[in-house]
Amino acid sequence: MESKTFWECNKAYILTALGLGVVGFVFVGFLMIMDWGYLIQFTLHAMMGDTSGVMSAPTSELEQMVNAAFGPAYNTVAPEIIRASNERQEYIWYVFFAEIMIFVFLYVKNGRITPTITRPDDMVQVLTPFQRTVIWLNIGMIMMLVVTGFNITWSLRSEGGDIPRLLREFHELTGLAWISIWLIFTVIAAKDLKGWRKNTTFRHILPGSFKPSKRGIWFFYAAMGAGLCFSGAMIITLHPSSLTHADVIQFRRVLLYLHFGASVLIMFFILDFVYASAVSVKGYLKGLWSGEYPREYLEQVAPDVLEDLKKAGRV
Amino acid sequence: MSRMKFYCDDYRCIDCNGCVVACKEAHEIPVGVNRRRVITINEGIEGKQKSLSVACMHCSDAPCQKVCPTDCFYIRTDGIVLHDKDKCIGCGYCLYACPFGAPQFGHEGIFGVKGVMDKCTFCAGGPDETLSESEFEHYGQNRIAEGKIPMCASMCSTKALVAGDAAEVDKIYEYRTAKRGANTSLKPYGWEAYNNGK
Repeated sequence: MESKTFWECNKAYILTALGLGVVGFVFVGFLMIMDWGYLIQFTLHAMMGDTSGVMSAPTSELEQMVNAAFGPAYNTVAPEIIRASNERQEYIWYVFFAEIMIFVFLYVKNGRITPTITRPDDMVQVLTPFQRTVIWLNIGMIMMLVVTGFNITWSLRSEGGDIPRLLREFHELTGLAWISIWLIFTVIAAKDLKGWRKNTTFRHILPGSFKPSKRGIWFFYAAMGAGLCFSGAMIITLHPSSLTHADVIQFRRVLLYLHFGASVLIMFFILDFVYASAVSVKGYLKGLWSGEYPREYLEQVAPDVLEDLKKAGRV
Repeated sequence: MSRMKFYCDDYRCIDCNGCVVACKEAHEIPVGVNRRRVITINEGIEGKQKSLSVACMHCSDAPCQKVCPTDCFYIRTDGIVLHDKDKCIGCGYCLYACPFGAPQFGHEGIFGVKGVMDKCTFCAGGPDETLSESEFEHYGQNRIAEGKIPMCASMCSTKALVAGDAAEVDKIYEYRTAKRGANTSLKPYGWEAYNNGK
């Protein structure tokens, strides 16, 4: 068996970590105005159940009044929310431009895999109706969330009004509905769980095995999706009244920031997934609908899926 | 140029919530939305209890205006910060940016989700035609156009809440502070402060 070096085995993870590290360093070091010390302290306090944002007992009557009336430490998180909100409106185009350039570079470098199908009738059932339902619901809801989310971000262009407001309301409702779909899809796409395949709980896991790049995409989908679901659900349900405002506003600010960050990262990896599955490979989208893929397509593009189906006795 | 401002004197505010009720009644504000609220600390502790009536402070450099993605806020020449409810999409960013918790959101959208933002208008209405039915329905009374001060300040029994031109409000503040004096351990509170003009 051919032995691989550490670099060869983990190239995708290392490059992803380096890329995110460089972008993160530039952002945190030069662009953001968040008080990181406070944020870390606040996160620890929140994990222990104290979401008020008051890190230490007030030392003056004024501080006590500010904490009670307006919520504590305004200058730690709120200015960053304003900056990030403006940045999303003005500069997110550049982020997408950079992402598209990366995909174009990869496409030019690696070319496109086009499988040769000579026996179009030789089909293999790959996806179960349950898996297809979850996949399509996931695709539909993510598209809805992206469109309605950008509707909020870029409403300076639409100038607001009834339709953008309705889309914003759909963003919240679709987001709540997506929580269950995100969870189910995260589980059925966790191909590394196949070790427990004999357990009937895991029979719905998608066939095939992860390559490092796809594993990274799954990990970020799961992690950023968790961030989006948690922050979104809390933002919607944790609706402060005028009298509870000071107790929860700092928590909500941090949650909104988590929502901003997670949405940017998940978008990057979703685009990466679309590139890897449909652009660089001539994706067989009909299979997502019917559940059937040509045997030759699987042999040439996804041998791991065919292997898995054989092991399961489904071919 | 005048700039309209509120000032709440914490030595005079007695947590009666008259301003809150007056505001809700005058503008027919729905349940769940409070343009003004009263916050009390050290409740029941003699000499330490303090209350403050809070609403939109009509900031000169308003963070809500900076963060709004639809640019629905505008600042009048007299410094009153208003917003256009027909533009607002109810995203809530202004609530995160506001240092005072002024923006309020009722449940009025589809399936009762968050509706458009509502906040104190300094009783100056909104962008709709002045003193029209539409303006009242969207923003409440326009007392400024009628030459009156905001309802909350006019109803404040101890005159803790003062509203008007910043220069005039500042004079009242200076007068009261000077009369109270500095470094006194037991300053007048509530009605005592009101009766002594402090």
